[in-house]
Amino acid sequence: MPLNVVVCLKQIPNPDLQFQIAPGGKDIRRDTLNYKLNASDEYALEEAVRLKEKHGGRAVALTLGPKRTEQMLREALAKGADEAVRIAYEDVATYDVGKVGRLLALAIRTMPHDLVLTGVQSDDLVNSATGGLIAGILGLPHASVVTRVEVSDGRVEAASELEGGLQRVLNLPLPALLTIQFGANTPRYAPLPAIMKAARQPIKELGPPALGLPSWDIPLPYSFGVQGLSPPAAKGHAEMIGGSIEEQAKRLAQILREKGFVRR
Amino acid sequence: MRTIGSDILLVAEHLEGRLAPSTAELVAIGRNLATQTVGATKAALLGHAARGLAEALARFGVDVVLVEDPALAEYTGDGYREAVRALVEQTKPRLVLLAHTSQGYDLAPALAGSLDLALVTNCVGVRLDGDRLVATRRLLNEKVQADIELSSERPIVATVRPGSVPPAAEGASGSVTSVDLAPDAAKMRMKFVRLERPEVADIDLSGSDVIVSAGRGIQKRENLALVEGFAKAVGGVVGASRPLTDLEWLPKTRQVGQSGKTVRPKLYIACGISGAMQHVAGMKDAGLIIAINTDPSAPIFEVAHIGVVADVLKLLPATLKELKE
Repeated sequence: MPLNVVVCLKQIPNPDLQFQIAPGGKDIRRDTLNYKLNASDEYALEEAVRLKEKHGGRAVALTLGPKRTEQMLREALAKGADEAVRIAYEDVATYDVGKVGRLLALAIRTMPHDLVLTGVQSDDLVNSATGGLIAGILGLPHASVVTRVEVSDGRVEAASELEGGLQRVLNLPLPALLTIQFGANTPRYAPLPAIMKAARQPIKELGPPALGLPSWDIPLPYSFGVQGLSPPAAKGHAEMIGGSIEEQAKRLAQILREKGFVRR
Repeated sequence: MRTIGSDILLVAEHLEGRLAPSTAELVAIGRNLATQTVGATKAALLGHAARGLAEALARFGVDVVLVEDPALAEYTGDGYREAVRALVEQTKPRLVLLAHTSQGYDLAPALAGSLDLALVTNCVGVRLDGDRLVATRRLLNEKVQADIELSSERPIVATVRPGSVPPAAEGASGSVTSVDLAPDAAKMRMKFVRLERPEVADIDLSGSDVIVSAGRGIQKRENLALVEGFAKAVGGVVGASRPLTDLEWLPKTRQVGQSGKTVRPKLYIACGISGAMQHVAGMKDAGLIIAINTDPSAPIFEVAHIGVVADVLKLLPATLKELKE
């Protein structure tokens, strides 16, 4: 049975960077950031492409975000997605995962979907909520933190990672939603001809009318606000050993001896 | 008109007959919040033949609502969502609290999505401020803290990161009330198949007094030898952060963190590990934590007792030399 797979991708600021809080305190400064595909979404994308290669069908990469996300969608096309779709919601920060999940669900409802994949969490906002929200809104059975996916006879078997390395294996009927864990597979590199081709491929843009909405201001059962961002209060900070490498090594060795971890 | 009351409903988590440690933390948070709402805290415990577990939970001093059904013998998103949904519709709590665990963040968003409720996840703190819920979250590799405010006429669903508060103490006593809520069989679409355990053909990290863990900062697989040599010198074994076990430089059994082992050695040396929440959750209770990292703003220095801003590939050989003198 050919599979229609929709994979949700997010472009995030590289979390290895340093961040400053923007004037007003409601967002980070974005003028100097560089963006990349969220880490676990890379695995979700790879899983989507592998599934459609194995079973036939199509893998569609879907995102919500400003124009800059087109670069990420082209990367997805070069790595094997058949189509790229951008929900043209231009808010650069999207702190309210509830709104994002609702908009993504509305878009997915307009697309054929046997399987919806997301990454397990975005490394910028770390909500681990988008996939579950979409599943709840669309009424799809779902599994989270998935490290292994096997589709057969209209069902999917998924291994879901728990704390402590245990895996809970679940069997779900399609259509279903899975949130894919970091490390679930080995993502491929895009071959150069595919990168060249992806640069010319169209990206489908969805505005509010395409989702059946008069505007992006959808009714929500709650009000949401960012009260403020701040640098986290240091819980306590390590006693730092300074100096040259030799001085640091000398002090570290002394501490290990004093605490009795080294005999001599 | 308000459609909610003032109670806090927390969802207990258990596996193989044991309560998750995070559930006692939820009890502590719920009790604290309930004093503000002038409501009660209730804990939902779902399972099959789970009376004993419900009584164990009540000993943390919380009233337990016990829902028993064969369909709830093992966790599935379908079974738990339907049961909690029915409880939420019946009791209309102000807040539904879950732990931000693999199970908690499977259930919480699906519950919020299916009932059209407000959701905030992975909080390190939650408080009530008048009509609003203020949730504190950590973003961007722990480098930014955000206070988020939500208000709603309907229940709000929130997940709290394990380890954010001290757990409630045992010794008090709460009631256990059985509620008959057979989940609708037509909505039980998913099947539990089995639990799988990682193969253990390796040393057991959790039994070691000294762990020297390697992270991305060691740069190349060959450099593991250096970490192994250092571990030997301090009588320890080698652990790793997730990126290294994903790269298969070390077996999965060596991974310290939320999806790996939780360890409490006397000495933990983090070599080139930035200290993402995922990792810190598994080692923050070690007796002495020494962190070595080139980035002075790395979050690992927040949990470490002793920090060294240095290239681990230079510092370890230099320290070994010192130890041999």
